Amino acid sequence: MKHWSLHNDLWNEFDQLQQQVASLFGGFPSSIRSYSDGTFPPLNVGMTDDTVEIVAFVPGMKPDQIDVSIDQGLLTIRGERPTSFGQQDNDEARRYAQERFSGAFRRVIELPDNANPEEVTARCANGCLTVSIAKRQSSRPRAITVQ
Amino acid sequence: MNDITNTAEREQTQVATRENQRTTQSLTRTPAVDVEETSHGITMWLDVPGVTRDKLEIEVHDNTLRIQGDATVPSPQKLELRYAEIRESRFVRSFTLGGDLDTANIEANLQDGVLKLTIPRREEARPRRIEIQAA
Repeated sequence: MKHWSLHNDLWNEFDQLQQQVASLFGGFPSSIRSYSDGTFPPLNVGMTDDTVEIVAFVPGMKPDQIDVSIDQGLLTIRGERPTSFGQQDNDEARRYAQERFSGAFRRVIELPDNANPEEVTARCANGCLTVSIAKRQSSRPRAITVQ
Repeated sequence: MNDITNTAEREQTQVATRENQRTTQSLTRTPAVDVEETSHGITMWLDVPGVTRDKLEIEVHDNTLRIQGDATVPSPQKLELRYAEIRESRFVRSFTLGGDLDTANIEANLQDGVLKLTIPRREEARPRRIEIQAA
């Protein structure tokens, strides 16, 4: 019996996880490419009436160290984050915590169909990279006059 | 009981003690940290993207270093968040400092969302070579 209850719990948890994932995405198209947990950089995605807004949290990185590209509806953010350690010209430095990510990274986000890859702006400030992609004119909400 | 786990063993993460999970759950985020020690003292780096200088608070009290702040990301009005890997804008993290560190002379530097803290070791606690006298 114990075995079964464990099995059920696992399924419940799996269910919950799926629901959680679904709720995170909300109406945003989910894709195996766009979901990833614990990777660098963490991402937030938001929408306005006119744009799709993507924020990548890239503390410690300069704009010229980050490469942003769009190809076939996929937004790719990549770069390499150098380690902070070892910059001191010091003898036997001892390292304790090492929680911050370092090394090469690459994240891919699938854009909704109504995103226009021709109209993109990206800016980087205080370790936050914001990519703003305009929606196609036809997909923007508009009021319809009742005849 | 103290809320902050005390580290007796120096060789382990002396200054990198996570604050008791209970206090940091739900509404605040625990920023990732790197810690390095040399004979001059301790250097640490914390990831605090979206934080500006005026939204950052660093205090030392009874050998506890506490760093907290609020992150803001410039975003257009009427933004509807669809997916978030970072939800909390507030972050807190505390560290217990050993008595050999000079808490009066901590240097803090914030750049591109990374906070760098330099905590010098007290002069008398720095390692020194001891001359052996000839008999």
